[in-house]
Amino acid sequence: MPADKKSILAALSQIMDPDLGRDVVSLGFVKNMTIDGGKVAFDIELTTPACPVKDQFKSQAEQLVLALDGVDSVDVNMTAQVRQAAPQAAGLQNIAGVTHMIPVASGKGGVGKSTVSVNLALALAQTGARVGLMDLDIYGPSVPTIMGTEAKPTVEENRILPAEKHGVKFISMGFFLEEEKAVVWRGPMLVKMIDEFIANVEWGDLDYMIIDLPPGTGDIQLSLCQKIALTGAIVVSTPQDVALKVAQKAISLFNSLKTPVLGLVENMSYYSCPACGEKDYIFGNGGTKKAATRLGLPFLGELPLSTKIREDSDAGEPTVIADPNGEHARAFQAIAAQMAAQVSIRSMNDEAAVKINF
Amino acid sequence: MDRTTPVEISREGAHDVAIQWKDGHRSSYAARYLRLACPCAQCIEEMTGRPLLDPASVPEDVHPVRIDAVGHYAIQIMFSDGHGTGIFTFDRLRELEGEG
Repeated sequence: MPADKKSILAALSQIMDPDLGRDVVSLGFVKNMTIDGGKVAFDIELTTPACPVKDQFKSQAEQLVLALDGVDSVDVNMTAQVRQAAPQAAGLQNIAGVTHMIPVASGKGGVGKSTVSVNLALALAQTGARVGLMDLDIYGPSVPTIMGTEAKPTVEENRILPAEKHGVKFISMGFFLEEEKAVVWRGPMLVKMIDEFIANVEWGDLDYMIIDLPPGTGDIQLSLCQKIALTGAIVVSTPQDVALKVAQKAISLFNSLKTPVLGLVENMSYYSCPACGEKDYIFGNGGTKKAATRLGLPFLGELPLSTKIREDSDAGEPTVIADPNGEHARAFQAIAAQMAAQVSIRSMNDEAAVKINF
Repeated sequence: MDRTTPVEISREGAHDVAIQWKDGHRSSYAARYLRLACPCAQCIEEMTGRPLLDPASVPEDVHPVRIDAVGHYAIQIMFSDGHGTGIFTFDRLRELEGEG
């Protein structure tokens, strides 16, 4: 006798999503099941293509269903539908078509925030997600350099079409400024530029928009949190005490604006010796992780201080593209997966924002 | 954080404002009291916290005409006397309740 849908679902309900804390059946992930004699096929629709446990789910599902009586073969198709965050309070803008907006912040400059932003965006795109990258670091817009300078935005009927490379759409102040001139702007000009990037760029449909912020806790960070429905921020730090202390200021800014912090990333965790591969924890070991634990925030992962990452960035061939299966690319991909998991947790658990009936 | 996270902001009576907080508590604010508590730089001296607003200059029947969200942390209230620059953070609103 062939297996029935009920017993298959019962078997699959043993698969727990470790991030959402519920099983995949009650989460509604199992879809389009067909049973044809002993042949069973279904989709598992995850909340992100970058799910860190995607492969594990697939093999678990195959094993559990194959173990049932009357099942000869099973075909599990992994899909993903990035879910919208909980509804936002009135007065906050969304960019039409963009599901999750994620600013990458740092307290202090020079911690590698742009390199992290670019590689995270590319790592998400490699999983099949639709990704955009907005470089709001007006003081040192380095995204065009890291992405490779040949891609340029174009203008069509008064709308800006973002540059596109390696499957990521991106826009940067660097496209509109002269390279060696300082930006001497007051707050209102900065805010106008954000408005421009939000309202006049043709982003299309995106699952994730990574926003590379300038370092610190100034006008741009404040305006962004006041205007846009952000899913949550990522804070990048190096392991030194001084960098961590400043990173905490960024976290405290997001807290006071009640913008969730999705997690901390430690960059330059260790020096990865190109000759012998040894890890040297030159700035001390585990500082950011400890800070994350103390602040009750997820720690998303650590990245090495590596000549190769620096060279890749300067050459416009970011590490996850230059060497997608290398150790460094894997570190970025793992962080992207952890970040996507945190976004999914937010979207599944978040309660609706405040209702204003006045 | 439940203490300073509002679930719903609604009208109470003709012009007063009620906030239902996530911790279950409900606060009410008289319309004119909110106007007098405006935290903006025209009403409170930025550095010293000295009140600049003369209560006598505020109409007796002043009331909110519109309330907008500011980020996830505050609301902005437009009052019937045309004043609307104050950003009332949820933290401050929860404190104000005890004073009113």
